Amino acid sequence: MTPPLDPREAWQPLPASAWNAELARHLLRRAGWAARPDEVARAVKDGLGNTLDRLFPATPPPLPRPVFLPLAETRKAEIRSLRRDTTDPEQRRIYEREERELERTSGVEISFKWLQAAADPTRSVYEKWFLFLTDVYVVSMEKVRSAELMFKHYDLLRVNGTGPAPALTKAVSRSAAMIRYLDLELSSKKAPNENFARELMELFTLGEGNYTENDIKQAARAFTGYRNGKDGFRQNDRDTSAKTVFGQTGPYLGDDVIDLIYQQPAAATFLPREMARFYLTDQALPHEFFAPLGEAWRTTGFNLRELCLRFFGSCAFYAPTFRANYIKSPIHFYLGLLQDLGLDVLPLQRTTLQPLRQMGQTFLLPPNVRGWVGGRLWINSSTLAARRQLAQTLCTPLDEDRLNADERLELVGARDAGHGRFTVDNERITSFTSLGATGMAERLCDYFLPVRVTPEYRSALTQFLGENRSNEAEVKARSATIAVLQSPEYQLC
Amino acid sequence: MSSLLLPSTRREFLRLSSKGVGLLAFSRFAPQFLVQTSLAAPKPEKDRRILVLVQLAGGNDGLNTVVPFTDPAYHSLRPTLALGQKEVLPLNDNLGFHPACAPLHALLNEGHLGIVQNVGYPNPNRSHFRSTEIWETASAADETSSSGWIGRYLDNACAGAPGSDAPEAVHISAEVPQSFGGVHPHNTYGLSLGTRAGRNDSALLERLAAQGAATGSEKSDTNHDFLRATLMDSLVSEKKIQRIIDTNKPETTYPGGQFAQALRNVGGLIAAGLSTRVYFVSLGGFDTHANQAGAHTALLRQLSEGLAAFQKDLTARGLDDQVLTMTFSEFGRRPNENQSGGTDHGTAAPLFVMGRQIHGPIHGTAPSLVLEKNADLAYSTDFRSVYATVLDRWLECPADTILGTKQDRLGFLG
Repeated sequence: MTPPLDPREAWQPLPASAWNAELARHLLRRAGWAARPDEVARAVKDGLGNTLDRLFPATPPPLPRPVFLPLAETRKAEIRSLRRDTTDPEQRRIYEREERELERTSGVEISFKWLQAAADPTRSVYEKWFLFLTDVYVVSMEKVRSAELMFKHYDLLRVNGTGPAPALTKAVSRSAAMIRYLDLELSSKKAPNENFARELMELFTLGEGNYTENDIKQAARAFTGYRNGKDGFRQNDRDTSAKTVFGQTGPYLGDDVIDLIYQQPAAATFLPREMARFYLTDQALPHEFFAPLGEAWRTTGFNLRELCLRFFGSCAFYAPTFRANYIKSPIHFYLGLLQDLGLDVLPLQRTTLQPLRQMGQTFLLPPNVRGWVGGRLWINSSTLAARRQLAQTLCTPLDEDRLNADERLELVGARDAGHGRFTVDNERITSFTSLGATGMAERLCDYFLPVRVTPEYRSALTQFLGENRSNEAEVKARSATIAVLQSPEYQLC
Repeated sequence: MSSLLLPSTRREFLRLSSKGVGLLAFSRFAPQFLVQTSLAAPKPEKDRRILVLVQLAGGNDGLNTVVPFTDPAYHSLRPTLALGQKEVLPLNDNLGFHPACAPLHALLNEGHLGIVQNVGYPNPNRSHFRSTEIWETASAADETSSSGWIGRYLDNACAGAPGSDAPEAVHISAEVPQSFGGVHPHNTYGLSLGTRAGRNDSALLERLAAQGAATGSEKSDTNHDFLRATLMDSLVSEKKIQRIIDTNKPETTYPGGQFAQALRNVGGLIAAGLSTRVYFVSLGGFDTHANQAGAHTALLRQLSEGLAAFQKDLTARGLDDQVLTMTFSEFGRRPNENQSGGTDHGTAAPLFVMGRQIHGPIHGTAPSLVLEKNADLAYSTDFRSVYATVLDRWLECPADTILGTKQDRLGFLG
């Protein structure tokens, strides 16, 4: 697409005088999941600079570690030794099944812990930034097959997610999950494997067209001997001889190659462009549009927090072209629903993880090393059907009598931890109906929708809410809420 | 069958719309479903031709699928992965199928399966995404196209049956295939296993979708317009399709696993007489960089058993002369195996065409394995000539216009 602004002006800070509630809603919906009225009021009062400073903490909170994880690790070690000691093939299969089950459960626990953290409005913006990083430095549970390693990878993305990008990339190259995911553990001096070197340049740092096949082959030799053992490297497998990468020759090792990568012009615009794709627009913007932002970023030593502050504080981010026209990802749609409706994560796989999968986005399981492409690819008849079903589930009181024993136990656990509002209950609906048909229609349109809807849309709602006998008011209010959350307008931010 | 449900939906659209003309302008597909009589049940069309695309995602290792087992070069390139004469299922004196392809071997012997050898394109790209994009958009390696080859086929007047509200193309995969993207939007439908439409009364939603923010222009193509059109279409389609799948009674037993079950559903939709012309099914996991042998065997088995069951089902239903199935993968793999017991991203590979109308078992020429160290295969058949053959001789539309290039036709459709 043609950029809406001149690149030189686009990345200048938004003038303080321009800051208002409409822009605050845009920031909260795009950088986080939803624009709750209390959060909007606070952002307007604080001003843009202070708000960004608060939303992007210099020291982000750690990813909560599920209690189950260390237990699973202990049990897995036991199982492995038991499996070694048995010669009975049937018994071995039983152990293997148990190990798979432990991994699966650990993955589920990590997903729930993260969703709970991300649903907390005070953490949303950083958690979305973290989700962005997982969508750049992709690993997948499908190949890594270890929840523990996935967790450690995610943790290092967070720990390094506010510092210099080269340090993050170096940490990623040592991440055990990444070493397994892109076959570094199989790469040796005698047989360099190109998988990591290629994706490092294509998908993590530079983008296609900014390196040659030879750069990849040579760089692959520098990333040899990376291992998941105690020491991290197997010296005998490391290729310490000379390589020529980007026209420079030396006995480079992996970290040297990463330093060379960040000297390339494309390194300064690649990540900003990925941010634009994730936060601003599904239309491709030219690299040149990001040149001034990239140069400014380079002077900060590629500091990621500085990049966020500049990006989300820029004129470009608030340009009218980029407002209310971005299709929410399934995770965004789900967490946005929770925040808009004031709900907690319902800790049941059937009602939470399964809908996310059906909508096309499973935490820990990106479709491939590119991550989620997003945009219009999120939307087809079946994913829309899944979005509609989820909105309906969250707006319908949970029938606890129909839950199985395990599910009830999960609810008890969540309630003990202070989470209890899982669906929109009758009390909420009753107080909502007191607004009357016009008031309810206004509330639904103005709080939930980023789009200014037509008078016809509003009157369709008012009419629907108005045409009822008194005993139907609550049923109608619930149906109208569901329809608005299912409507095309709510899928946008 | 499903027409019992549909008229009420259509009447709702009409009755609730304050401006009938506005609704027509809004829904890109409205004219079709408005003119169709609500009583018309779908009728199977005898001359209807359907294409089923099967994606082997990740890059299938061609050399270990259609194996040049007598070539000494093959054995030296593949010291651990090579398959010998005793293992392969012979196709001729030099070539044999991977042993997991027994069901495909049988189909080939019956004359219902063809192999197109060594398919690729000039200046091959070894990025999964870029190469998949090249295959799905049918573009040259040095150009990009935002539309897919199936999308451009649908753009063409020859696509679809008039007066139908069935989707023009259906995919059973998590993401919409890039090949479906047209210059004009199309009514395509995504079906993932296990998803069911909500049972909530959708009348208010239909009304909201029809009366959202005014676009002011029929040509408007914002994400908002896209969402509204997709929702409207899916409200109509979903009732129909779910009903068909729920009542599908295949004429054979399909193996378990998502891939075969996806084909089972495709068989049901075809048998129901939908006017849909293209189906897309995906089987992933072919990116075998390490420990390839076992994984590749399992994948080829899934592929073979699934395809064979599908063909058997179609034959039993008397639909086998209406359906052409074709596989594709973004690239083949490096002729040299690597030292992880796997193979890295390569270039050309064979693909399969399946159906009752297939002429001849083996097409194109086999790759030469006389190669520099760690070099890739040089393709001998351009993938766009496979597409041109399918578009021209199967779907009967102007292939060269759709592909934007003039390609030779191959002999697998006579």
